[in-house]
Amino acid sequence: MELQKLNVKIFTTEPSKVPLTNFIDIFHRWIQETDGVYHDVADYSHMVAGPGIVLVAKDAHVSIDETDHRHGLVYSQKSLLGGSNRDKLRSVLSSALVNCRRLEKEPSLGGKLKFNTSEILIWINDRLAAPNTEEAFQQINPEINALANRLYNEGKIDLAHDRDPRKPLNARIRSLVATDLETLLERLAKS
Amino acid sequence: MNNALGWKEKLGRALPADLAREIDIFEQQLELRKQGKIDEKVFAETRLRRGIYGQRYDNGQRHDGKRAQRLKLPDKPLKGPDTLWDAPGMMRIKIPFGGVTGEQLEVLADLSEEYADGVTHITTRQDVQFHFVHIDDTPSLMRRLAAVGITTREACGNVVRNVTACPLAGICRDEAFDVTPYAKACSKFLMGHADTQDFGRKFKIAFSGCQQHPCGLVTMHDMGAIAKTRRVDGRERRGFEFYVGGGLGSVPYKAKLFDEFLPEEELHPTAQAISRVFARLGEKRNRARARIKFLIANLGIDEFRKLVLDERQKLLPDPRWTAHLESITELAEAPLKAGDSLNGGERSEGFDAWYATNVYKQRQPGYVAATVTLPLGDASADQLRALADIARRFVKDTLRATVEQNLLFRWLSEADLPEFYKAIQKIGLGAADAGTIVDVTACPGTDTCKLGIASSRGLARELRYRLGEKSLQLDEAVKNLRIKVSGCFNSCGQHHIADIGFYGINRHVNGYQVPHFQVILGGKLRDNAGEYGVAVGAVPSKHIPEVLERITETYVGERQRGESFQDFIGRIGKKGIKAILENLAKIPTHDVDSFYYTDWGDPREFTLSDMGTGECAGEVVSQAEFTLAASERELFEAHILLDNGESAAAVRTAYFSMLRAGQALVKTQNPEISENEDQIISEFTERFCQTQLFYDKYAGGKFAEYLFKAKEFLAEGKAADADRVVQLLQEAQLFIDAAHDCHNKLRSNVVSAVKSDTMAQAGA
Repeated sequence: MELQKLNVKIFTTEPSKVPLTNFIDIFHRWIQETDGVYHDVADYSHMVAGPGIVLVAKDAHVSIDETDHRHGLVYSQKSLLGGSNRDKLRSVLSSALVNCRRLEKEPSLGGKLKFNTSEILIWINDRLAAPNTEEAFQQINPEINALANRLYNEGKIDLAHDRDPRKPLNARIRSLVATDLETLLERLAKS
Repeated sequence: MNNALGWKEKLGRALPADLAREIDIFEQQLELRKQGKIDEKVFAETRLRRGIYGQRYDNGQRHDGKRAQRLKLPDKPLKGPDTLWDAPGMMRIKIPFGGVTGEQLEVLADLSEEYADGVTHITTRQDVQFHFVHIDDTPSLMRRLAAVGITTREACGNVVRNVTACPLAGICRDEAFDVTPYAKACSKFLMGHADTQDFGRKFKIAFSGCQQHPCGLVTMHDMGAIAKTRRVDGRERRGFEFYVGGGLGSVPYKAKLFDEFLPEEELHPTAQAISRVFARLGEKRNRARARIKFLIANLGIDEFRKLVLDERQKLLPDPRWTAHLESITELAEAPLKAGDSLNGGERSEGFDAWYATNVYKQRQPGYVAATVTLPLGDASADQLRALADIARRFVKDTLRATVEQNLLFRWLSEADLPEFYKAIQKIGLGAADAGTIVDVTACPGTDTCKLGIASSRGLARELRYRLGEKSLQLDEAVKNLRIKVSGCFNSCGQHHIADIGFYGINRHVNGYQVPHFQVILGGKLRDNAGEYGVAVGAVPSKHIPEVLERITETYVGERQRGESFQDFIGRIGKKGIKAILENLAKIPTHDVDSFYYTDWGDPREFTLSDMGTGECAGEVVSQAEFTLAASERELFEAHILLDNGESAAAVRTAYFSMLRAGQALVKTQNPEISENEDQIISEFTERFCQTQLFYDKYAGGKFAEYLFKAKEFLAEGKAADADRVVQLLQEAQLFIDAAHDCHNKLRSNVVSAVKSDTMAQAGA
């Protein structure tokens, strides 16, 4: 199975002390600081447990998401990626972590935003290529497992699968140890 | 973006054949546009007619508050004038009369996640919209919708748009009869009908079961029907109080009464005759005056009626006019459970308040309809799936999207309400605000619309938030008012018919552009949008909450006993309103407080530079141009057949592509040319060959010969060898190219003639 339309969610430490609407200004500033990469900011702060604030781009959306009433950064790959599945997973996870790091360092948030790196949710938004079945999960399991082991340095990890067939194919990585973003990025780079 | 074929194969026979074929054709048109073989203007109207709309910034430019940025997008053919291929767009999905099932909600949820930004948006015309959709994904998206019986066909463009109807139809306590089957049949009859393909602008239709309630909004539509019964020869007959020529937009018109009682069997032929008159006489060049309301205003309703009735007499009988009437009662909905009263069962906190605002007692004893309010019309994928589950648990697919951007669950047993409430509360949709001032409706505005001037959703969100906080303390008279917000004067938010409406405008203040809203007061939803409000002044966007507070407080404090809001506004007049709004037009200078120079929910300094050319009006593309594009597509299909080794079919299809191109040319002189092969050949020969209009300076009449030779070849019934097949396909391409040249020549002659005429008139 070729992994495309990969999504990664990295949760904030609960409860997040930052109101959703603060990210509107931040994302607009990110647009100013880049050059034509991002298209817009979509504000869904009026929804309960919705997609929150979305920074829209052609290749990938970045959002502060509230699905399941849990805040987190979602990196949603839209355009097709090249390379092996391992490369794609690494690329998307790395992009998500880089965005988390950028937000943690965001001056306007004054250090109030922290990500809980002991839990990562990955899903594939393509019900044709990747239906949410046990068989499909077993196909992606080795790659995700390998990624999780590299990320958490062979520490104890738990890999869970939400089997609701209506949801996209997914895997939830949990580690007993929370590792800082910088270290996770270094480990990803070395893998 | 790479799995279009995959969904086609996977869904296979699950797709209705006609919808499958239409989507295949559109996919070929996409491919042809990528190859530059369809003109971008023709393609724009083609995609609009499939529901694929432009979105803000799709010209590749966006102002970030400091400077205009060029968006980094690959250089590809445009998908319409000034519209980049890879720029995200909007997908509008027609939901006739708002009727939707649990299964459809689940598919919408999946599609929003996979192709959009995870949000399904209900519009003010019972449609669904996805935003940030890539055009390459649309064939897959359409196939998945078609598999559950939904089409996006004619959701946009200069055609008959979604046919809306009162969401209470069939359960209403006051209706004459259930208009649902009529709305459904009318939508089906007019969609793709030959007589609705050549309008200068869009055409909107609404049905209502009664005169007095607002639900159908009939009088603001191009065509509207209110259910009526009449005793004829001792028998009760069904029909409609029938209206034409209403519409909002920048200049709102109330519809004119066309017929006090149009018998049910006359509904379709009359709609068809109206379509013919509109297509023939409606304005095509000046988009701002191309809606049917202008035609009717120019002609007068009596003359318009006469033209329509004359046209009606010319129509040949069509079994589709009355086919639906035979099964009209069989289409009635059924409940899942036996109806039972509430019986004083346990009620959770908040239930009573929710019951008071969101529940409607059906005329069928023991049953109620409950409104699930979707804030700003938005629902997440998880919420939609949960709503599908809730629907299966309590009702039998009896859901309706409403023009107030909510979802109505019909046929609930009243006894189930406490559990139903718990279920919707669990997914964050238990707000007790349906039909109240808190339930603000808004068009997309500057969030995604190319024409948006100010942030209608931003303002609506802010008002919802402020009103929601104090909703329990609101005076009952204020609580029942309605607010509607549009991002510009085009009225997609329907601001004219709200008690309190706003539409976005721009004003220059202190050397800066400042977002403002024009305040509209006194519109009336009742009586099917019975009165349009009056503009009372422009106020800076950031002062609008204060406007609302002052107006509602004054109303509560100064209204006379039993005085409605409309009467109150009428009584105090513009002078009184001006006094209420005193000082609100002024804002601090930019250096003192720059807050006023930005819009709600958008920190960028306000500018109009992101506005684009709207696609609401679509492109005026003649039937000849559409037919030429169809001939290209048919030839493309011939090539695919050849690639698949189906030579005979390839030859036949190539011949028909030439015939189609010939038909396109004939349409410039005889718009009513039939599909009959002999008639097309005969008229093409007479009008274009014998007159040498279809004649190349160097090749003479050679290209026309390709058509005639292919016809002869097919008539002989011989099998073509491989070389002959390739040659025939090449000749077909040359014929179609020559047809394009001929059409361009004819068009430039018309333009020159118009120019000389204009100059002559100017000289005179």
